Amino acid sequence: MLSADIHGVFRYSFHSLENTMFHKFAGALALAGSFAAFSAYAVDVDPALPSYTKQAGVEGSLKSVGSDTLNNLMALWAESFAKEYPSVKIEIEGKGSGTAPPALISGTAQFGPMSRPMKGGETDDFEKKYGYKPVGMRVAVDALAVFVHKDNPVKCLSLAQVDAMFSKTRKKGGKEDIKTWGQVGVTGEWASKPVSLYGRNSASGTYGYFKEVALGDGDYKDSVKEQPGSSAVVQGIASDKYAIGYSGVGYKTADVKTVPLSAKDGGTCFDANSDNAYAGDYPITRFLYVYVNRKPGAKMDPLRAEFAKFVLSKQGQMGTIKDGFYPIPAAVASQDLKSLGVE
Amino acid sequence: MMSAITQTIATPTEAVPMSRTTIRRTDLRARGEPALWSLGGALALGVIMIIGFLVLVFANGIVTFIPKPLAVVTETDGTVTAGEPFRSELYKPSPEIIASLSPEWRERVKAENGYVSRTLYRTGNFDIYGEDFRWVPAFQAAKIEHPKNLSFFERMEWGPFVGTVKSFKVGGAEQAFTSLSDPKFIQVHDESRARAEEIRAIERGKIGHINHELETERLDLRKVELEHGRNSAEYKAAQDRLTARAAELQVDYDKFSAEVQKLREMNAGNTLTLAEVGGREKTIEFSALVRAYAANDLSLLQTLGVYFSRWGEFLADEPREANTEGGVFPAIFGTFAMTLLMVIVVAPFGIITALYLREYAKQGKLVSFVRISVNNLAGVPSIVYGVFGLGFFAYVLGGSIDALFYPERLPNPTFGTGGLMWASLTLALLTVPVVIVATEEALAAVPRSMREGSLACGASKWQTIRYIVLPRAMPGILTGVILAMARGAGEVAPLMLVGVVKLAPELPVDGLFPFVHLERSFMHLGFHIFDVGFQSRNAEAGKPMVFVTTVLLIALVTFVNATAIIVRNRLKKKFAGSQF
Repeated sequence: MLSADIHGVFRYSFHSLENTMFHKFAGALALAGSFAAFSAYAVDVDPALPSYTKQAGVEGSLKSVGSDTLNNLMALWAESFAKEYPSVKIEIEGKGSGTAPPALISGTAQFGPMSRPMKGGETDDFEKKYGYKPVGMRVAVDALAVFVHKDNPVKCLSLAQVDAMFSKTRKKGGKEDIKTWGQVGVTGEWASKPVSLYGRNSASGTYGYFKEVALGDGDYKDSVKEQPGSSAVVQGIASDKYAIGYSGVGYKTADVKTVPLSAKDGGTCFDANSDNAYAGDYPITRFLYVYVNRKPGAKMDPLRAEFAKFVLSKQGQMGTIKDGFYPIPAAVASQDLKSLGVE
Repeated sequence: MMSAITQTIATPTEAVPMSRTTIRRTDLRARGEPALWSLGGALALGVIMIIGFLVLVFANGIVTFIPKPLAVVTETDGTVTAGEPFRSELYKPSPEIIASLSPEWRERVKAENGYVSRTLYRTGNFDIYGEDFRWVPAFQAAKIEHPKNLSFFERMEWGPFVGTVKSFKVGGAEQAFTSLSDPKFIQVHDESRARAEEIRAIERGKIGHINHELETERLDLRKVELEHGRNSAEYKAAQDRLTARAAELQVDYDKFSAEVQKLREMNAGNTLTLAEVGGREKTIEFSALVRAYAANDLSLLQTLGVYFSRWGEFLADEPREANTEGGVFPAIFGTFAMTLLMVIVVAPFGIITALYLREYAKQGKLVSFVRISVNNLAGVPSIVYGVFGLGFFAYVLGGSIDALFYPERLPNPTFGTGGLMWASLTLALLTVPVVIVATEEALAAVPRSMREGSLACGASKWQTIRYIVLPRAMPGILTGVILAMARGAGEVAPLMLVGVVKLAPELPVDGLFPFVHLERSFMHLGFHIFDVGFQSRNAEAGKPMVFVTTVLLIALVTFVNATAIIVRNRLKKKFAGSQF
């Protein structure tokens, strides 16, 4: 139920945009693609995003605790932000999305990056202490990729097939447990080879999101090799020829490839790339979030407000491309800036 | 242990008087022989494993910074790839791919039992391609060239660029480009870099000081507010003081900002247009270029120059691009500072405990129990210490310190979160059993006759310990401290909970009062290895850095230990002559 909701929210937020900024944005993207020879970047940020201008009187120190998927992205933002404000000190800690809410509640961190939306229980704990809910801003778009070894001939998988590989409960309606590559239509010597599973540890938001959306809230098999980081999943797959695993698309290396996915059995398969993610065609697209403690109606202190503005600006969104994720459209940015009360 | 070995060595000599036939018949089962072989074998295995590990780490770490040649591969479908050949491997292409090959290649693949080689190229240019590595199978490479003008550019952002210089501008005016070793080109680059350094120095130093002072004033105001309330006369006075001081500082600030702006503008005119192998262009400022070299046209001297300048950058600079590039200086400093602080805490603490246990305490059930407990402490998993450090030191102790001494900074914690001091204390707890056990052994090894002699001469108990026992036990005590240091410097797991972070922009020691900031989070080489190895975006590019950082960590631990060992040996020599 929850999973459908969250997924729905994502699709909704994009589809509702279609009438406003999104077509324009998609058009701009297509334009950039057609003039690829002259484009300076592989993916471009939405030109409608606000450009960041330096403000006076911003100083102090910030701490961010949370997602490891967003770890590098936060570090990149911190570096660029410190270039604008050399006296601002930002510390980054990233051990999993689950560590963000406690850090926000205790006040240890001012920013809590999470690779999934906050769960009801976490929001409640926060509310119990402060009397209001934390505000999440959507900072990047990630196509949660299903990776296989680069030599793997598999062309396409449906979510039900992915579920039957990773889950022992098969809530997506897969008929049989998938144990060998032959069961998903791979022929030749691959057919008899067992599927080797790689995943994240349970503190990870990626673990939770994949469980909700791809597994329909089912349970992972015990044979999933849980890795301590997103990059570790990719490295595991790179060295294990018959492996499959999930991780943020930003962590792709030359040794692995992404598997195109279809939402339904027999449906069209879409690869994990920016176009499919924006169009909502890639079935496990998600937003990445940064949560902050903002009292409704009150003005945020200048340091946090400027950092939030920076992240949701053209310059900040350039960082998402640098880290291999996709920038958010301008409409999402302006919505979130509004909900933070910084415009 | 020692006597067991002596015995096994002695056994064969006993067998000598026996007749030759007896010896031949008892081969491996001869008394002591199997033990000797297995002991020797175990030693050899241990040594081989350690040497193998060191060779692996060093062989990979040492070569990382050597500039590699660049290749341009034209593929059969017309795609052109330029990059550093990173590594090669054999693989089995699928039957469909083999079927699509030319007859000649099909034969070759068949001759190799279906295997064919492929090479991974580091193509760089991540901003243009969206990837920075690319596999090219041998049958797809139609032509491989090594053009002399193809160069490798290390940039401040977006990672390396592989391509050629199209043109460059100085002060906005177009210049004729000849080669990367053109003195004019080098001069412009050096000047721009120097200006960028200057900007950084002004921003960090002068502007940093202004901001620090403002922050201090503001905290003072907050303190007054907490003490006297918002409507008091004291608060008003303090507020006026702050306003006046802020206005003064603003003048300085504007001056420095203008200075920085001028330098920035000067740098903005010096740009460099690069072209990748497909013709797409990229213009960057000279100040954003770390170094550039024509990889296929380097003399031995230039190669060495690039190699050592990379090492220099690695050792002395701060990390860039989410720790994947630049240097590790803050991590080296953090590791060193933490280990030093840990020794300062653990040595006196451990030695005093051991002295009491061995010299003063009445040996009985209670002391044995304490001793067993201490020994067991050494077996507690290190992460448990981390949890204890976070819960007790950071939250309970640190939280109380904050409430007492830094109420004006709340709710932002000062000591109430992980930091250098709590990390050092946690590691001190972790290593204290080692020091206690080693010290006790060392004290026990001082001959009883010496103590009795001293006491007989009229020395008090403390005088005996101070002048007779401790000096002679010192080498043994130092051995314990050395072991503790080695353990502490290499520990990572508990640190992740009590103060080590991915990015800490400030060193724990700086020029701002009170100069040593024990409450700050810090970076650590061990955690850096974990971070680069398992958390960085590009695992492929991170791997060599893992080896380099490991080499560095091993070197640092060796250095610290070697220093301690030299001190120990001096002490040993000093007392060698005074033995009875």
